[in-house]
Amino acid sequence: MLASDGPDEDWVRRAQAGDRKAFSELVRRHQDRVYRYLLRMLGSHDDALELTQDAFVKAWQALPLWQPEAQFRTWLFRIANNTALDALRRRKLVEFVPLEDGFDAPGPGPDPERQAQATQEVRKLEASLRKLAPEHREILLLREVEEMSYEEIGRVLSLSEGTVKSRIARARAALIEIHARSRR
Amino acid sequence: MNSGEECPRTEALSALVDNELEEPARRALDAHVAGCAICAPVLVQFRQLRTGFAALPEPVPGVDFAALVDRRIGAAGVPKPKPRPQPQPQRWRWWQVAPAALGGALSLSLGAYLGSALMLGSQVAARPVALQMAVFAATPPGALCPALQACKPTGR
Repeated sequence: MLASDGPDEDWVRRAQAGDRKAFSELVRRHQDRVYRYLLRMLGSHDDALELTQDAFVKAWQALPLWQPEAQFRTWLFRIANNTALDALRRRKLVEFVPLEDGFDAPGPGPDPERQAQATQEVRKLEASLRKLAPEHREILLLREVEEMSYEEIGRVLSLSEGTVKSRIARARAALIEIHARSRR
Repeated sequence: MNSGEECPRTEALSALVDNELEEPARRALDAHVAGCAICAPVLVQFRQLRTGFAALPEPVPGVDFAALVDRRIGAAGVPKPKPRPQPQPQRWRWWQVAPAALGGALSLSLGAYLGSALMLGSQVAARPVALQMAVFAATPPGALCPALQACKPTGR
């Protein structure tokens, strides 16, 4: 029996052998982060709910391809990111982002205190983030929210570290520009 | 610092914020930013952005995805993970090796034929040598006497 605080890799090996309980443990460990990432990529709570499930089901199906040298979180985010991009393409949202819409986060829902604490500046940042091109949004979320290293981001997005470095810089400059425009 | 570089050094500043700059470059950029009116505010903006991201709310889904996903996995349409297909040893099929075997046999036959022809040729070529050597033999070639006069009885 595995300790519930054991490393992901032990659970992945069990899940690879078809143990669904082991996979459920992995889902519980990563579901909030994957959901938040997809929420910010898609801008919709309902879409994020659906795509989070899709991402995990795809991960289950792709488990035999997982290699022990790959960090499970990085591998999972690669699947989640591809799921998000597919959905954006399918729904033709890549080019169209409503500028003035509020962030369709889970409304006053389960954590009203935190909602109340959200400053105007944070809301503006979220709105600016939604206006950012998806390839800039994804890389900034991985860096700033998921706090991944350039190497990890490179693995998630299949980019060289040099490209990660330059794209993050461009994404930051673009976000600052959008943010500044929204203040004018 | 390279005088050819342009300001703001956006990429390097971004890497500096991310702590992804190697030490000598980091120190040099710090020194540059301290005296550069263009790079300094960019660095401040990048750092403010980081602070802004850190303050983003962390919405919780309020859903147990593990149960939902497990239900979907359990449904008929979602196959169980299969072990990575191992490369299967190929079955031996005689017709796949027949052309190579035929080619090999032909090559061997041709080699044997050419070899025997060469051997025959060498025997033919050896004959003049044998004839030449025959000059030194006790019996002259053709059993003819090279000096007829010497063979002729002088009658003395």
